[in-house]
Amino acid sequence: MVLTEQQNDSISELINIAFARTGGALSDLTGQRVLLSPPNVSMHKTTELAAALAQFIPGEVASIHQVFAGPVAGDALLLLNYAGAMELTNLLVEEQTHTGYLDESSREVLTEVGNILLNACLGMFGNLLHVHVSFSVPRLHLESLDHLISELITDEHRYALVVATAFELRDSRVSGFLVMALSVASLDRLLQEVDGWEGRQI
Amino acid sequence: MMTRMEGTNESLLSAAVQDWMQHLAPQGIFLTDKSFNVVAWNGWLEERSGRRAKDVLGRNLFELYPDLIERGLDNNYREAMEGQVRILSQRLHGYLLPMPSPEFKEYAEMQQSVRISPLSRGGQVNGTLTIIDDVTERVLRETQLQLQLEVRSKLLASEKAARREAEEANRLKDEFLATVSHELRTPLTAIIGWTTLLRTGELDQEKTNRAIETIYRNAHSQVQLISDLLDVSRVISNKLSLTFSTVDVALAIEAALDGVRLEAESKKIQLKSRYDPGFPLITGDAERLQQIIWNLLSNAIKFTPKGGTVDVDLKRVDSFAEITVADSGIGIEPEFLPFVFDRFRQANSATTRHHRGLGLGLSIVRELTELHDGTVSASSEGKGKGATFIVRLPISGVAESLGSGTAAKAGAVLENLARVVSPHVLRGVKVLIVDDEEDTREFVRTVLEKSGANALTSYSASDAFGIFEKHRPDLVVTDIGLPDEDGYSLIQRIRALPRHKGGETPAAALTAYARDEDRTRILRSGFQAYILKPVDPGDLVVTIAGIVKKV
Repeated sequence: MVLTEQQNDSISELINIAFARTGGALSDLTGQRVLLSPPNVSMHKTTELAAALAQFIPGEVASIHQVFAGPVAGDALLLLNYAGAMELTNLLVEEQTHTGYLDESSREVLTEVGNILLNACLGMFGNLLHVHVSFSVPRLHLESLDHLISELITDEHRYALVVATAFELRDSRVSGFLVMALSVASLDRLLQEVDGWEGRQI
Repeated sequence: MMTRMEGTNESLLSAAVQDWMQHLAPQGIFLTDKSFNVVAWNGWLEERSGRRAKDVLGRNLFELYPDLIERGLDNNYREAMEGQVRILSQRLHGYLLPMPSPEFKEYAEMQQSVRISPLSRGGQVNGTLTIIDDVTERVLRETQLQLQLEVRSKLLASEKAARREAEEANRLKDEFLATVSHELRTPLTAIIGWTTLLRTGELDQEKTNRAIETIYRNAHSQVQLISDLLDVSRVISNKLSLTFSTVDVALAIEAALDGVRLEAESKKIQLKSRYDPGFPLITGDAERLQQIIWNLLSNAIKFTPKGGTVDVDLKRVDSFAEITVADSGIGIEPEFLPFVFDRFRQANSATTRHHRGLGLGLSIVRELTELHDGTVSASSEGKGKGATFIVRLPISGVAESLGSGTAAKAGAVLENLARVVSPHVLRGVKVLIVDDEEDTREFVRTVLEKSGANALTSYSASDAFGIFEKHRPDLVVTDIGLPDEDGYSLIQRIRALPRHKGGETPAAALTAYARDEDRTRILRSGFQAYILKPVDPGDLVVTIAGIVKKV
């Protein structure tokens, strides 16, 4: 399945609204101006996800993972490479850590930030679809990209919406990906609503 | 919703969960209804927050804790009512509810990690659940680890830097040793070569004169190398000591100019000097100041081609004496300028080889200038455009108040010179010369006899003591390193004698022991003068005459 140009534009616009909310929330939280760069949206089969992401995220990844349920259901993740995860934490808390690894407090910060971002995006889709989406407690995982994606690939999850973005703060940029793995039914429903939303905007 | 076995009595389960939450949970747990009124408050919270459940239940959370609104945390509850889970990390928030942390004095409040979740039933959110973990101890542990790692990484970085520096210093010293060995060999080649020719006895008078002149010149250049080396070693070991007195800088410049005049003439280099009239005295070590200027002058002459000029200028700038040595020589390339005063760091060893020398002169200049609280700087328009060195020395108030002593000082120098030229300065003085090396002994005897002294010689301390007792000389000049009994022992034996038997006879030590501590030991052990080998005949006579006159 490939997104039409219009669908791509609409999803990008919707996500961008969620990003603006996330940026605002993170700015309030940290007292720093935090921006999320405009989203770059693409659709992939979950089986091809590893190849699509590998060139951007080599090695170990930090992911904040949240399961969402309701009429539209699936798995949502924020992916950062390990170094990026450390850098983002340091930038947010205004400290330079020397441990060279993510300690528990840093992981907690990432979980909080990922949670805000994922909730904003999923909340945006929920509003669009006029459905209530419920969320699981977010979890942070540190593992290889292959392992992470192999867990995502299920019979149900056939497609994944991938949104490339970057956190911009204190003159630095940390790239990351938002991945939403969906069932065919959920994706159909989402795209229908997206098409409808697009129609209403004109 | 809890997964449970079918048929489980719900009220039993609910009672068990409530019991656990109330009494056993290792966390703070509280529930609110959808208006944020507290409906459950567990034992952990009662214990730590200082608020009993009965005082809290039924009351609005934001009335109980108004600072939740001030800190913008109330939004999390509103979002939870929309079905979202919120995580409040310790690092970004510190804590949710202020609670004391009596075990850990580092924090005024217990550090907390918090989760706020919606309470849903049948797809409807009808309240919130808050779980608070006390993470104070964990945070402290993390901070300590941070600090340790920070210290370790700093240590590691400084160790690395130190190792790099040591390796570099080692490399420079190796290079330097190679240069030293080359430079010491060069004059030796001439000395040995000409000496060999002289020994054949087949040289005519003209050649003989040339041989002697060459040997003399090369020996002197080697003396200069060695004294530079010693100075550098003193500087490195921080043992360079200065004897401060009031100094006439103009006289020091004149003396330094005298020292380089021959060399300049041989290269047809014009030496020009200009002084501010009535220049004040400064406080310094006269010998070292002369060395500073001599080094700069000989550096300028070395790097100036035939027919060039070297100018020395002395003027007062504010409260500083400014000595400028400018030449029309080969100049300094801009990239080498910052390193000209560095010890062992010759930018272009090819240049130095061409011009000879160790390249230590300028580093000694800097060290000596800094020991005088002064500064030295170098500038050059570039290659082939000459170089200018400026030494700035502070003029001290005390020295200045003594007024200009130029005339008096000049008188003293002239007097010294007159003594050297006079063949009678030691007339009638009976001198005992002690040295186990015949060459030196004969050299000293010749020099002193030419100045009118009657010389007695001896090769050992015990022999010398016998001669001393028998002939009662007016003066003793002795080497320190003698076989069996050294010069210290000899002077001890002489000083042990009563006055009428010569116990107070003046004595000079003539030695190659060149360290400052040798000089100090010699002067403390009863000698009136310390003469460093090799010695210039003029200096020898002046020194000897000086101590004879004092007695």
